[in-house]
Amino acid sequence: MKLTTNEATLLSAVTTPNSDAARISRGLDMFVVAILFFAIIAAFHIHIMLTVGDWDFWVDWKDRMYWVTATPMLLIFIPAALSYPFMMKFGLPIAGTLCALCLVIGEWISRIVGFHLWTYFPYSMIWPAIVLPGLMLMDLVLLLSRNLFITSIFGGSAVAFAFAPANWPILAPYHEPVVHMGQLVNVADMIGYSFTRTATPEYLRFIERGTLRTFGGESTLISTGFSGFVCMILFFVWWKIGEWLTNLGTIPNVVKKHVGLGDDDDEK
Amino acid sequence: MAVTHEEVRQAKAIAPFKFNLKPMIMGLIVLIMIFGGARWYQQWAAWDYGLDATDPMFDKYWMRVFWGEIIVEVTLFFSFVGYLWMTRDKHLNNLKPREELRRLMLWVSMLVVYAFAFYFAGSFYAEQDATWHQTVVRDTSFTPSHIFLFYMSMPVFIILGFSLFFYAITRLPFFARKISIGLVLVVCGPFMLLPTVGYNEWGHAFWLMEEYFTVPLHWGFVFFGWTIIALSGVLIQVMKYMVELLPKVINEKGELTS
Repeated sequence: MKLTTNEATLLSAVTTPNSDAARISRGLDMFVVAILFFAIIAAFHIHIMLTVGDWDFWVDWKDRMYWVTATPMLLIFIPAALSYPFMMKFGLPIAGTLCALCLVIGEWISRIVGFHLWTYFPYSMIWPAIVLPGLMLMDLVLLLSRNLFITSIFGGSAVAFAFAPANWPILAPYHEPVVHMGQLVNVADMIGYSFTRTATPEYLRFIERGTLRTFGGESTLISTGFSGFVCMILFFVWWKIGEWLTNLGTIPNVVKKHVGLGDDDDEK
Repeated sequence: MAVTHEEVRQAKAIAPFKFNLKPMIMGLIVLIMIFGGARWYQQWAAWDYGLDATDPMFDKYWMRVFWGEIIVEVTLFFSFVGYLWMTRDKHLNNLKPREELRRLMLWVSMLVVYAFAFYFAGSFYAEQDATWHQTVVRDTSFTPSHIFLFYMSMPVFIILGFSLFFYAITRLPFFARKISIGLVLVVCGPFMLLPTVGYNEWGHAFWLMEEYFTVPLHWGFVFFGWTIIALSGVLIQVMKYMVELLPKVINEKGELTS
């Protein structure tokens, strides 16, 4: 690839150690890192909390209904969208890992300051799901393959396939059986009964449906397979959405004459 | 290559480039004080005076805060946006590259403050809204959680976002020549969270929606939250422009030329 004159000048300038250009360039980098850090926490966290948040908030929800199936599907949206600018504009296959780290930081701050210190739930009840392994695998596939289709198939599905195993070691002790008032429940349920959430379904009515309640059973594997398949498609779709949002371009500014610019200034 | 006295004299006359970090640091400190103070107030007043909207103590300790927020925010919005427009640079066609670089760096540094404010609205106060309302059932649209989430955190980043937009189109030729669609999305997408609050509260008036925090009624917040992805496009636009702008003020050795 041939560099333009400007690009060649800039490359030479910013690679000169301790030069003004290098300092300006590094300064800009620092700003960009800080902007992305806070913006990704906010965007990824609000997305997760309002789509699969309930299953992430409470330990007694972490084996119910949609957790194993829906969480990986929703986890892949923002990392896949950001994979496009990170990989295609900067050659950095790190969007998945970065998003996972930002999410876990945002979630832990919220769980400590909000859930624990404000509404007094114990940490054993409110720990966030472990999402890093699957998203790191997604990045790894992108790093090795540098190919959208291969990453969709193997990287996208890895997010789903790594999710249940990654969470099993921390969740398994909560599934020890306990007999409570003549009923067989598990430790997670007992914690849930002890710390009342007056607006949630299990307080209002009986909500159990289906067999996915048994997290360690075969239904988890089947559900993970389904989730993996959907993740393959979602990675591709959200990569394309990321591409679209990154390359939106410009529209004419009808008020530019108020700042001294005319039509002939457009191409300057 | 020989260096003349004239070149040495000119080189000495060029002031070194300094990042103006003061507005960013001041902005971050002010936000930490506002959001930290609000969180402290919640801890102090939510359980004692914030459980019943019909209680006179709720009026005293919470609704006064709410009305105070609204008055201050509306005033600040029009003050900031009005000031930026009224004091606009009317000769952007003659702007020196060095001054443009200074303004661009200042603007990018203030994007850090915008992202920081968006963090408090999108992450910190948003998720603790779940724990408050799933534990303490809401009775009206105004609760100790909402008064700081919807009516403080969101307006704060909206004020900052619009101020940054107006700074860009009135002081930075790159954004003034043509409007960046990415920048419009980054400012207007999160702004749309505010109308979504109205829709959300209308829905909550009918149904006990905190039963699930993930109810479809809340997905409007998710949709408009996605627009922040366009920030990557804005940053890439800035970086591409830097490839044009920087060579106007530096030479190939990396030294400033103007």
